[in-house]
Amino acid sequence: MSLTRSPSPRPEGGWSSPGLTPGSGSSTPRGGLYPTSPSDPWLAAKAKSDEVRGYPSFSTRNNGFFSRSKRQIKATLPRFRASARSPKGYSEKDGFPHGHGRGWRSLWFGRTVLRRRRARLFLALILLVLGYLCFSTLLVQLFRRSGFGGGRKFVIILESNVEGGVMEWKGAREWAIERNSISDKTDYAKTWGYELEVVNMLAKKRYSHEWREGWEKVDILRETMRKYPDAEWFWWLDLTTYVMEHSYSLQDHIFNRLDEIVYRDINEYNPLNITHPLIQPYLDEVSRSADGDKDPSSIHFLLSQDCGGFNLGSFFIHRSLWSERLLDIWWDPIMYEQRHMQWEHKEQDALEYLYTTQPWVRSSLAFVPQRYINSFPPGACGDELDPKIHYTVGGRDFLVNMAGCDYGRDCWDEMYQYREYSKWLNRTIWGRLHDSILDLYYALIGEDKRPQAEAEAD
Amino acid sequence: MQFALPPRKGPVAHPYARSSFLTLHRRKQLTAIAVLSVALLAVFFLLSQLFYSSAGAAVISIGTPSVVIVTVLDRILYSDKYLQKIIRNREDYAERHGYTNFFANLTDYNSYIGHAPQSWGVVPAVRHAMATHPSSTYFFHLDPHAIFMAPSKSLQSHILSKHRLETLMRRDVPVVPPDSIIKTFSHLRHEDIDLMVTTDAKGLNTGSFVLRQGDFARFLLDTWFDPLFRSYNFAKAETHTLEHVVQWHPTVLARLALIPQRVINAYSPDSIGAAVDGTYKDGDLIIRFFGCNTDPKRNCERELDPYYNLWAKKLKLE
Repeated sequence: MSLTRSPSPRPEGGWSSPGLTPGSGSSTPRGGLYPTSPSDPWLAAKAKSDEVRGYPSFSTRNNGFFSRSKRQIKATLPRFRASARSPKGYSEKDGFPHGHGRGWRSLWFGRTVLRRRRARLFLALILLVLGYLCFSTLLVQLFRRSGFGGGRKFVIILESNVEGGVMEWKGAREWAIERNSISDKTDYAKTWGYELEVVNMLAKKRYSHEWREGWEKVDILRETMRKYPDAEWFWWLDLTTYVMEHSYSLQDHIFNRLDEIVYRDINEYNPLNITHPLIQPYLDEVSRSADGDKDPSSIHFLLSQDCGGFNLGSFFIHRSLWSERLLDIWWDPIMYEQRHMQWEHKEQDALEYLYTTQPWVRSSLAFVPQRYINSFPPGACGDELDPKIHYTVGGRDFLVNMAGCDYGRDCWDEMYQYREYSKWLNRTIWGRLHDSILDLYYALIGEDKRPQAEAEAD
Repeated sequence: MQFALPPRKGPVAHPYARSSFLTLHRRKQLTAIAVLSVALLAVFFLLSQLFYSSAGAAVISIGTPSVVIVTVLDRILYSDKYLQKIIRNREDYAERHGYTNFFANLTDYNSYIGHAPQSWGVVPAVRHAMATHPSSTYFFHLDPHAIFMAPSKSLQSHILSKHRLETLMRRDVPVVPPDSIIKTFSHLRHEDIDLMVTTDAKGLNTGSFVLRQGDFARFLLDTWFDPLFRSYNFAKAETHTLEHVVQWHPTVLARLALIPQRVINAYSPDSIGAAVDGTYKDGDLIIRFFGCNTDPKRNCERELDPYYNLWAKKLKLE
């Protein structure tokens, strides 16, 4: 193949003439051609004559070391200028497909990029693993808090400052109860991404004036529902409660298996002897059936019963029209006027009354066995231990409600003991190892000395 | 060999080597797969929706009456002849528009009312009608001492349709005239309304109201019928209780539409206590002989006759 005209010089000094390549039969025409030439007189002569004829393209080729290794040197140099300069001006003028030379360079460039990318990917992976190891708890919590985790569907409402400010001064023990109870719920809510709303139950003149002491709960529930428009379930907790098992989520513990654990037929446990189901012939079938419509999605109020009937120390209410109506009707001036002398437990008794007399309340209210959400310590609800009501060691109950601890029992003492026991139950692997080694040690010595918390709890 | 020319790949080499694995062919394949999977998902979704709704929704048979007219009859106090006239009037009206009647006996509810006045029977009667016709939508309670005078007017066009109800609703007026501080909401729309009731000069009137079946109806009727309200000795028993419930419980007020009295509750000229423009005029849907059963000087049967004859004559003319 002959050249009809001089190939344009490439910026880096290479030849971009594709026409030459097949003619030389090699992909490396210049470098491959020259070493064979000294032994070939014809080629040597041709080269000489080329030189004489003054073709700049050929003459530059053989001018010693520098010109030969020029491209090699240039190739090692950065190519920013080369890529910045438009290749179009040359190649298009020459009638060569303009993408060719650029493609070759980009291939080289791309490979470097790939290599760099792989390294970067590797680095990122290492960082990711390290980050996961360091921040996994935080990430899990963030996920649970997010829309996907479903944590924001639950709001824990914790009462505080019960009758504080007006009735009596709070002593050190009252402050300690409050501090411990709040930090317990804060930790629990943080673990599972729930919202926590600590509400002030300060005795207000407004309520005593309107004869509504005890019904603040209702107003607070409504306010909280307004404050958290995304939340679905609201969990009311009295101050003297303690979440024993922080590893139980509300979803797994209760709401994902509602149909298995709740009972709607109050005859299953009926300390108040409420007549159930209703038999009035003018009622519809759902209102007359013992367990409502049997569909867990129609449950909007979930509570437990203790030995004295309904217990509102720990209950759930679902955002719904039904709940709005219940909260609305819960306090009525005419009912209150007639019954306030009998309703010793105020809003709790009022709810029992509504449940008894108004069929629509029954069809969306469900009970959960007490120890799922509201275990009592021994001493509450009679002296003997009832496995339906009382926290038992080894039962790993979810929550303890020290109900009535301010009537002849010691609230702070109970809370302290349950806090320590909860800590001991949920100690880390190292704690367990430490304990078992201690046990072994004492067994060998022959003394019986178990960890204090366990001994206390027995 | 640094000077190598790139191997030829085709007339136009792709400018970025990295993306060369995404050839045109491959891209076409991927597009096809994407389109196919989206289509499949859509089909599954539609099918699941179809089966879900067919399994979940209660089947409403064709021919279910949309409106049930509830009447509580006192068969002890009134002659059978009088009651038959009322029943015939209502049966005719229901038949014209595909509604149905629910005639309840006051004595059926005596044991549930207890010591409270007999007029309380209306509350369990409406609940009973709802239990008997679980798929009907509207329940129109009408006092027995009333007849339909314009049988061609359907309740749908007369009050229940969206446009008609929204023009009828009296917004921002005192629930109990003239000066209750509780006023009807001004922003309610047709969808919000479950209870349509009228006021006369004294207050809410329960002799004629329309209640939509649903959770609200059960809530309202059960609350209304609460024993503590029945035992409170309200002067006007269930009427005053409803007034109390509406004024103290916003969840009820938010579902209530006050409509002008003459629309469903026009009083006869003999009746006392009609609101302004509440007395019967020719062409009104209903005439009610309000108070004829409580005032010893009046006689329901005698008052009914002229209007009943008028109605019967109209019927013959058609």
